[in-house]
Amino acid sequence: MNSMTDRYLAATLRAAPAPRRAEIATELRAAIEDMIEDRTGAGQDPATAERAVLTELGHPERLAARYADRRLQLIGPAYYLVWQRVLRGLLTVVPALVGVVVGVLKATVGDQPGAAIGAGIAAAFQTGVQIAFWVTVSFAVLERTNAAPDLPEWTVDQLPEGPAERDVTLTDACASIALVLLLLAFLPWQHFQSWVADTDGRRVPILDPALWRSWLPVLVVLLVATLALEVAKYRTGRWTWRLVAVNAALDLAFAAAVSWLLLTDRLLNPDLVARVDWLREGGVGTVARTAVVVVAAITVWDLMESVVKARRHRP
Amino acid sequence: MVSEEILRTHLQELRRGTVVVASLVALRRPDYGYALLQRLAGHGFGVDANTLYPLLRRLEEQGLLTSEWNTEESRPRKFYRTSADGETVLGRLLAELAAVQVSVTGLIEGVDR
Repeated sequence: MNSMTDRYLAATLRAAPAPRRAEIATELRAAIEDMIEDRTGAGQDPATAERAVLTELGHPERLAARYADRRLQLIGPAYYLVWQRVLRGLLTVVPALVGVVVGVLKATVGDQPGAAIGAGIAAAFQTGVQIAFWVTVSFAVLERTNAAPDLPEWTVDQLPEGPAERDVTLTDACASIALVLLLLAFLPWQHFQSWVADTDGRRVPILDPALWRSWLPVLVVLLVATLALEVAKYRTGRWTWRLVAVNAALDLAFAAAVSWLLLTDRLLNPDLVARVDWLREGGVGTVARTAVVVVAAITVWDLMESVVKARRHRP
Repeated sequence: MVSEEILRTHLQELRRGTVVVASLVALRRPDYGYALLQRLAGHGFGVDANTLYPLLRRLEEQGLLTSEWNTEESRPRKFYRTSADGETVLGRLLAELAAVQVSVTGLIEGVDR
């Protein structure tokens, strides 16, 4: 017997339904031999004929799957949408939540504010991977057991309410909130974990520590208010003129405060400036001017975007 | 110009169900897998071997075909034959095929008028 046919049969039967394996083997072997015979009868040499026939039959596991009437997919159309919804729902909320909680615990209970951001990001990432893995595994098992719990049929009542085009998607809102949280986290981080150390190895804060008793709390309040605005905007689903006004007030207040601090040389820690050569030799001015331009650009962009989106929805 | 790829997919879709009909008709006269494949090919039903063999087995499991081993020839062969149930299903399928043809004809003529 030809070894290649034997190997093909073995590979197919390994994945074929067990109770009928022997029968499939006999039938498939006869069929392969018939097909080879047909080709050699037409003048092909046996080895080439065998190769061609087995190639025609294709991947052994695909053939076996056809015998078993098994679909070659991890999650089929019956479960795909539910899987996607569950996964999306969990991934937008849980990892960020876990990351923030872990970060806060690390900074407070663990008393390591410097390591908080890294720990939070790592925890969020791990949580995301775990969620994706277990949800997918559950659905893949469900797909294979056929133990289909009756999924609720879709009805028109499930159509989303409000305007068809939602201007503020959950993803947008999450991204904005994450950005503000990062900015908030930066304030303690730069204080405890800046990259510049003094001669005793202690970290030198980037921003002037004196500001903690004057302007920094104001900035924190503005940022927290921005968080509240993002939540309110998501709940409304779109920009309203009232939201535009509040957003403009917050944006302008933040930009004005930061710009004024930058231009009057009050934002950066004088101790830091003294220790970094190029800052001391005039770099401070460059940093300040660049930062003011960037802040202004971001502010103008944000204001324009809010106005444009609010106009689009004018009743 | 429609691409070959698109055309082939549509033709494949159109042909898919007809393999079952063709097999049930052809197997009114008992035959084994490869011989059936050749007969179908001879009548213009180009079926892949890796589609037909599993299909025959599935039809048998559904009770639409019966089978019998023939060990008289050089190698053992499984002969399939359309069962009574298979004949009933075939009747419905042929009626459906005819109905589709009638509908299409009607539609074509309706458009022309």
